[in-house]
Amino acid sequence: QVSELVQFLLVKDQKKIPIKRADMLKNIIREYRDAYSEIVKRADRTLQAVFGLQLVEIDTKRHIYILINNLPRPEGQHLCRDKEKEKMGLLLVILSFIFMKGNSVKDSALWEFLHLLRVYPGKQHSVFGDVRKLVTEEFVRQKYLETTAIPLTDPPEFKYQWGPRAEKETSKKDVLNFVAKMQSKDPTFWASQYSEAEAN
Amino acid sequence: ENREAMLNSKSNRLTEALEEANRLFDGVCRAREAALDAQFLVIASNIGKEKANELHSEMSAFDSTAFAEDLLTFMGINRTEVEETDDSEDVPGAFLPSDAWRTMGEEASKYFRRAPTFHYMMGSFKSEPPAPKQRIERQKKAGRGKAEQAMPAQLKKMEESHQEATEKEVERILRILQTHFENDPNTPISFFDFVMDPNSFARTVENVFHVSFLIRDGLAKIKLDEDELPIIEPIKPSEGGEEDSRAGARNQVVISLDQREWK
Repeated sequence: QVSELVQFLLVKDQKKIPIKRADMLKNIIREYRDAYSEIVKRADRTLQAVFGLQLVEIDTKRHIYILINNLPRPEGQHLCRDKEKEKMGLLLVILSFIFMKGNSVKDSALWEFLHLLRVYPGKQHSVFGDVRKLVTEEFVRQKYLETTAIPLTDPPEFKYQWGPRAEKETSKKDVLNFVAKMQSKDPTFWASQYSEAEAN
Repeated sequence: ENREAMLNSKSNRLTEALEEANRLFDGVCRAREAALDAQFLVIASNIGKEKANELHSEMSAFDSTAFAEDLLTFMGINRTEVEETDDSEDVPGAFLPSDAWRTMGEEASKYFRRAPTFHYMMGSFKSEPPAPKQRIERQKKAGRGKAEQAMPAQLKKMEESHQEATEKEVERILRILQTHFENDPNTPISFFDFVMDPNSFARTVENVFHVSFLIRDGLAKIKLDEDELPIIEPIKPSEGGEEDSRAGARNQVVISLDQREWK
């Protein structure tokens, strides 16, 4: 059961869409419901010992899980495909912007910023294709970003924040370090962001 | 409307609007007007809250324009001196290379603890495995079948491409074997020399795997030479007749090779 669950989780994780407990129960655990938590615990142990991955619950109410990497980040070339890498690049840029601007930005502000990087919501991008879809749908579904409607706005406006996957896969400190590196400054240059990152 | 104008931290528009609403309220005598006033208050307070938020989010001044410039620099933008020809949404004269975002992505991967996407290395077995192996396979497939139901479309695509890749590899290896043998038909090729990749244990295992297909399909054969070491040679189609009578007798050989031995 445990190895089936491990395989199930690995395959489900391919699209980076979080995994629901209900799916795990329905497809793998089935009759063994009572042993559910034990099976999950063992699966997590296997994932950690064999693959260096960790099963993390990002929504304790609705029981939704993701897989993250437990290993320390190695230096040097990472073996992912280019498409994945490019998306992570865009994502990091967006997450940095959101954090540096106080953890929440309006969609208009975000697109205005991306404009400066030659990324436009209305225009097909040579690397990302339909960027609007990537940002508002894919990243949100994968829980990297969270979007909430701003009440009483017409036409409706949205605000963007970090999603639970972003919180687990990276940190404010890492992101601040990235910004500092890009701007060749010390992270303490941005005092309030720095203290917020340290407190995290 | 005018939301943006009101939000501008430097403007007092919101205060002015509130004051005007107050004044107007004095003249109100119908319920509908009062309702409108209430609605206005809700909107105004939302705007007020946003304004307060923006004040807080000034944080330590973060210059997003400068940040964007720095990002472009990092991505390798080529800023050439060009006079302003006409208006265009793209900045004239600055050229962003095609691997710009790949460069960014390379850097970005250092900041994420992202689980690498999982792929089966060998794909799934072909549809007609040798008889003794079938039992084990069926059990495995039954167990996996349900798990795969969750994402059938995606897995099918993967399996197909892996199968093709396997077939191509097998063909390629057969051709290499045949070429070697043609060049020197009297010198047997040591099995281990043939499959061993001095730089990669994984590749060696893959090679053994592909060679096993050749044997199974009767395209190559392995014999033991005088020193009891296995040698491999391709089977010419003419020899096929001889082999038919022996087709019934299938041999299973287990070769074990671990990383230490391989080294």
